[in-house]
Amino acid sequence: MKQKKTLAAFLSAAAVIIVLISCSKSNSGSSVTPPANTGDSALVNIGTNIIIPSFQTFSSAMTALDASVTAFTTTPDATTLTAAQAAFKTAYLAWETCSAYGFGPAADQSLITATINIFPTDSVLIKSNISSGSYTIDGIANLKAQGFPGIDFLLFGADNTTTLNRYTTDAAEANAKKYLSAITASIKTKTAAAAAAWASSGGNYIKQFTAATGVSSGSSLSLLMNAFVQDYDVVMKSYKLGIPIGKYGTTVLPLAPSKTEGYFSGMSVQLMIQQVKALQNTYLGGAGYGFDDKVIAAKATKNGVSLNDVINAEFATLIAKLMALPDPLSAQITNNLTTVNDVYTEATKLVVLLKVDLSSALAIKISFQDDDGD
Amino acid sequence: MHKPVHIAPLAFFRIAFGAVLLVSSIRFIAHGWIKDFYITPRFHFPFYGFEWVSVLPPAGMYALYGSMALAALMICAGLYYRMATILFLCCFAYTEMIDKTYYLNHYYLVTVMVLLMSLVPANRYFSADVLRKPSLKRTHVPAWTINIFKWQLAIIYIYAAISKMNTDWLINAMPLKIWLPANQFIPVIGKWLALPATAVVFCWCGMLFDLSIVFLLLNRVTRPVGYFFAIVFHLLTAVLFQIGMFPYIMLAATSIFFSDRVHLRILGAISTIIPSWRKIDIQENYVAPVMCKKAGLIFLLVYFVFQLFIPIRFLLYPGKLLWTEEGYRFSWRVMLMEKGGTTFFHVIEPATGRRIEVNNRDFLTGYQERMMETQPDMMLQYAKILKTEYEKMGIQHAAVQAESYVTLNGSGSRLFIDSTVNLAAQKETLFGHKKWILPYQP
Repeated sequence: MKQKKTLAAFLSAAAVIIVLISCSKSNSGSSVTPPANTGDSALVNIGTNIIIPSFQTFSSAMTALDASVTAFTTTPDATTLTAAQAAFKTAYLAWETCSAYGFGPAADQSLITATINIFPTDSVLIKSNISSGSYTIDGIANLKAQGFPGIDFLLFGADNTTTLNRYTTDAAEANAKKYLSAITASIKTKTAAAAAAWASSGGNYIKQFTAATGVSSGSSLSLLMNAFVQDYDVVMKSYKLGIPIGKYGTTVLPLAPSKTEGYFSGMSVQLMIQQVKALQNTYLGGAGYGFDDKVIAAKATKNGVSLNDVINAEFATLIAKLMALPDPLSAQITNNLTTVNDVYTEATKLVVLLKVDLSSALAIKISFQDDDGD
Repeated sequence: MHKPVHIAPLAFFRIAFGAVLLVSSIRFIAHGWIKDFYITPRFHFPFYGFEWVSVLPPAGMYALYGSMALAALMICAGLYYRMATILFLCCFAYTEMIDKTYYLNHYYLVTVMVLLMSLVPANRYFSADVLRKPSLKRTHVPAWTINIFKWQLAIIYIYAAISKMNTDWLINAMPLKIWLPANQFIPVIGKWLALPATAVVFCWCGMLFDLSIVFLLLNRVTRPVGYFFAIVFHLLTAVLFQIGMFPYIMLAATSIFFSDRVHLRILGAISTIIPSWRKIDIQENYVAPVMCKKAGLIFLLVYFVFQLFIPIRFLLYPGKLLWTEEGYRFSWRVMLMEKGGTTFFHVIEPATGRRIEVNNRDFLTGYQERMMETQPDMMLQYAKILKTEYEKMGIQHAAVQAESYVTLNGSGSRLFIDSTVNLAAQKETLFGHKKWILPYQP
């Protein structure tokens, strides 16, 4: 008897399930068809049409910078210096479009913020390296004396006449030339290697990237989103704004304008705009399928409004506020702190949207480990 | 309850569960988690009342996990079984209490199961102990020694079902509506996962599975179907979600429901690889010493009352459970929420009015930060860490405020706790309500 009752209970439960399945199917309407199971369009599009071209552009810009620096060190004069400075600005801006992709090939090549864009640079170490002539340009001990901030100091660290003297009349002029060339050559090599590793004609990382679908640890979306959020939250908000305006320090002077990115060339705001626009472009997937399409498909909302609209509006607001901020940022921090603080507050809002709302809407965990969802 | 029943289910359960524990321990070591979880972090988040549990030096942590793996192997083999269960329990519980960041329901499950295992003579049959000392062999044990595991599993599944009986799960199909489409590119079933209806069906099936599985497994007629459902359910969760060993632990544990006949057949199959195994059994009943019997019964009574109470203690708190997480842990609530947050901590020096934003990565690992950012009790502990650390750095009478944004099951981020409260001055209590958690606004 007892067994029969349990069996009956089980059968009725099964019946309920079947009814539910059929109900929910008819409710959802026949217009819903499963999407073609051909892979994640966002990965394909972002990888092929954004990341690969970004590394290629960056690589070309580094080739150009390296050539300009060679021209400058061969014939150091006002013209070649200006040309090298211009090539540096182009290359630095190109780096900003790649800084969010610090995984895979870029990580393999140490082509990441923590290796090639540590600011403020250690100018004392650079000077002592030049005078001694003994250093390992990519060595761990030398991280703060190379990369873009190192070149920034070497090409813009003084007025052009003084700078030129360092490469012409100075006692250590030969060493200075060698040091500058060593930095550009190093970044150039790494960049070319990373671009080749991504390309389907080279290391074909793109294949692996588009194949690792899903959101679990090690999936491309998880790698990309974690790198994306980190690039914005840590590199953009903390390093580029928070530290220079003294948000975190306890022992240092509250304001540290010399800790801005591109301090000597005075292009900090330009670099930030470039980086935020690159992040925005990744979010949008350029003109193609991006995070935005995933957010729309998930019907994610915030305060009853489409999350995609909220994120797009915040990107636009932040970019507008950055564009209203004139370079150099260091002068703005000294003379116009209220405005810079306002930009920082705006930047913080986007951290919440990207790190909390966006990642949660796509079920991607920031800082991933195994768990059972509780 | 004291009726003698065949020991075979208990013996097989010991082997299966021991094997899963062994794999689980080795996996933990192989993933490098000892370093990531216990050596790298500068600070830890101990459980209330267990603040005295501190992380051991690296060698000690490796020794702890090494002992755990060894103890698991001994449990599986049934070698010095009682000692092995106690050793495993102590090592495992110790590591769990160091830091609540790593709390998982299935770790808690392991703790309670091994605790129960330490009470029963699962080594009296088909074990290294019997080979070592044949006089230990028993073929029959009191029924309660097997039933306690069934009761425990019943509590787990039924509470898991009850925790799913709410609008979020059954009507809004959250969080599966977010999680399933994320798997839409896996082969064969992937294309169906993006459909909204699928999430609803999965939610209902999941709840009904949890609710009915114990009854299906208890009944001889429905048992094969029940175990088939269990396999499908747990393997599906293993494919779709990154939940580690959980599915395998449950599949090993639920094997206890099978009859002695089935277990004897499985043990028979295993014994063909051990030729020296004596196949003919003469009934020998296990009789627990009278003292142990009484003490054991009282212990079990208290234990199960606790097991029934702990998951419903959340009723003592105001507010939405998933939001406040007051009374959330140790309650068999699995996969119920997609919750994410970010928190900006500020350290304030009252005398000077200085306000310093905290870079959480200076103090916590990414994993600790992520878990802290949605769990109020961890925020409180973190605030106290910050107070101490910033005072060491020269800030006088540091106050700590947190601007915390959390999204729960697609709600969109909103302010989570009162950002004007000095968290460093708040006290943690055992069951007290944290008034500074803002109420959830639907």
